[in-house]
Amino acid sequence: MRRAWIIASALLAALFGYTVWESRKYAYLDALGPGPGFFGIWLGGVGVLLALFLIAEVVRGGAFLDGDARVLPALADVPRPLAILVGIALVAASVEYVGFRLATLVFIAVLLPLLGVRNWIAIPVLAVAGSWGVFHVFYHWLKVPLPLGELGI
Amino acid sequence: MEGLTFLLNGMIAASTGQNLLFAVAGCFLGTLIGVLPGVGPAAGTAILIPLTFKLDATAGIIMLCAIYYGAMYGGTITSVLINVPGEAASVVTCLDGYEMAKQGRGGTALGIAAIGSFIGGSIATLALVVVAPYLAQLGLRFGPPEFFGLMLLGLCLVTALAGRSIVAGLLMAIVGLLLSLVGQDPTRGAPRFTFDIVALYDGVDFIPVVMGLFGVGELLSTAEKPYRDVLKTNLTRLFPTAAEWKRSIGAIFRGSGIGLFMGLIPGVGAIVPTFMAYILEKKLSRHPEQFGKGAIEGVAAPETANNAYANASMIPLLTLGIPSSPTIAIIMGAFIMKGLAPGPFLFSEKPDLVWAVIASFFVGNVILLVMNLPFVGLWARILHIPWQYICVGTLLFCILGAYSLRQSVFDIWVMLAFGIIGFTMRKLDLPTAPLILGLILGKELEKNLRTSLEMSGGDFSIFFTRWLSLALLIMSAMIIIGSALSLAPKEVRESTAD
Repeated sequence: MRRAWIIASALLAALFGYTVWESRKYAYLDALGPGPGFFGIWLGGVGVLLALFLIAEVVRGGAFLDGDARVLPALADVPRPLAILVGIALVAASVEYVGFRLATLVFIAVLLPLLGVRNWIAIPVLAVAGSWGVFHVFYHWLKVPLPLGELGI
Repeated sequence: MEGLTFLLNGMIAASTGQNLLFAVAGCFLGTLIGVLPGVGPAAGTAILIPLTFKLDATAGIIMLCAIYYGAMYGGTITSVLINVPGEAASVVTCLDGYEMAKQGRGGTALGIAAIGSFIGGSIATLALVVVAPYLAQLGLRFGPPEFFGLMLLGLCLVTALAGRSIVAGLLMAIVGLLLSLVGQDPTRGAPRFTFDIVALYDGVDFIPVVMGLFGVGELLSTAEKPYRDVLKTNLTRLFPTAAEWKRSIGAIFRGSGIGLFMGLIPGVGAIVPTFMAYILEKKLSRHPEQFGKGAIEGVAAPETANNAYANASMIPLLTLGIPSSPTIAIIMGAFIMKGLAPGPFLFSEKPDLVWAVIASFFVGNVILLVMNLPFVGLWARILHIPWQYICVGTLLFCILGAYSLRQSVFDIWVMLAFGIIGFTMRKLDLPTAPLILGLILGKELEKNLRTSLEMSGGDFSIFFTRWLSLALLIMSAMIIIGSALSLAPKEVRESTAD
């Protein structure tokens, strides 16, 4: 846990440092007063100091931390969260090309078994209801524009 | 007297067939969201925003508010039956609610929670009717320095009470504020941190961020270690006995007072009043040893405080335009989507809408009571649905919600990225609430800071020479110093990481 906090704090310090650097490209002050760079420079500066302070606090002991807590998931627990992430990424990458219905049909039909569902009747029923059914409700009834894809479905 | 006339008109508007229907639908969906572990009120309200796209402003906002307080009650059911809070504010209910369920008194625990929520919510709404017009009048006198001070106070409160380390909380708030820098500069309109990505010119929308942090992040955690054991308990006896009533009634009224008061302060978060109400009851009780072992006051007080807070937290939003929590910020977003700006001017410009929404809180409290007492068994049965179905269904609505707001695939990617960040933050026990509030308040905070400095010609003393601004800044500093010296109760800080 301690090492993870130190890494996280260091990454935050780098992010804040980058913000200060990037904010320097915008005017700090202009004719009217504080410019677009003003807030970023101050925030980034304070952020760097606080992140360094947190690293020092953790290195010194950091009594608020649960030192034994596990941060990285066990290997056996990785596939399910990974399947969710890959599933969302595939929907995001394909939804504008294949349309909402097809993208979500595949998403549901593949993700449910990957998460451990073995009911082979429920899976197709839910996949159709969750894709075609949801699309119908939102697109036709609630007039929410959803992508039809290049196939128009 | 004028307020009463407006309220009566609001009551008539809120009771029309359409508005009543959407209030019922909102209460139902909200309770469902609260019941489903892994979907908190913030993500749930955000996911359901597309449902309100086609509705007029009054019906849409009534529905979202109903979803909010429905979710606040729904979280109680999981706390009592599976010892897992449906949302953060129900954490404390687990202590005695689950113990009551183990003793076969689960029905009574849910019954007293529903009755307490009704009383607390109604008292808070009554206070809203009385206080709101005066606060709105006061809000009209606020200038940029005062608004800056108020937002800073809200941010400090969220940060000070969030998580184990005040420094980590501050860092998360800064990350949220930095995210708000992306897009157009609020005073000059110049693009910043857009990296030539067209989608970033409008900034990072907080809805996909909320869905990622609270929705996808939570589902990833659930998927890593899926486990749920629903307790079989007696749900037939819902009404407390005379002796239980006697023990609960004082707790309900004290819980109402605490929830109401804390709801008025922007940024406090729902968990604070629930813990305060619980701790107060334990201190006042003649049998403090029974707390944690199924004391009915241990359910009545925090649940009442929770709902009183939920209703009262609308006061800062409606009168000053300040969201108290991520969920309220989403409701604020719904106002903005409908072309309305919450704040002091709303009362004078759109009194019909404001009073219809306020009146709908009374109506919603009645609906929740009527819906939840007879249907407790139904909600309990929903808990038996395998988590995989809930997970995939929720993900589907997250994708739909993220996309449909701006018809942008980019927002699905944003949601995915913040899902990973949210999952990591949970692993590291970093608080998410300061990040969200920082993102939401960031643009306005910066605008008010810079406008104040423009007014004073760059002189920071403008914040210290106006008494209200000075008072707000002193309070903010005291909160941060108090938290750094660990003055906030340990239980509150450790339970508010989310």
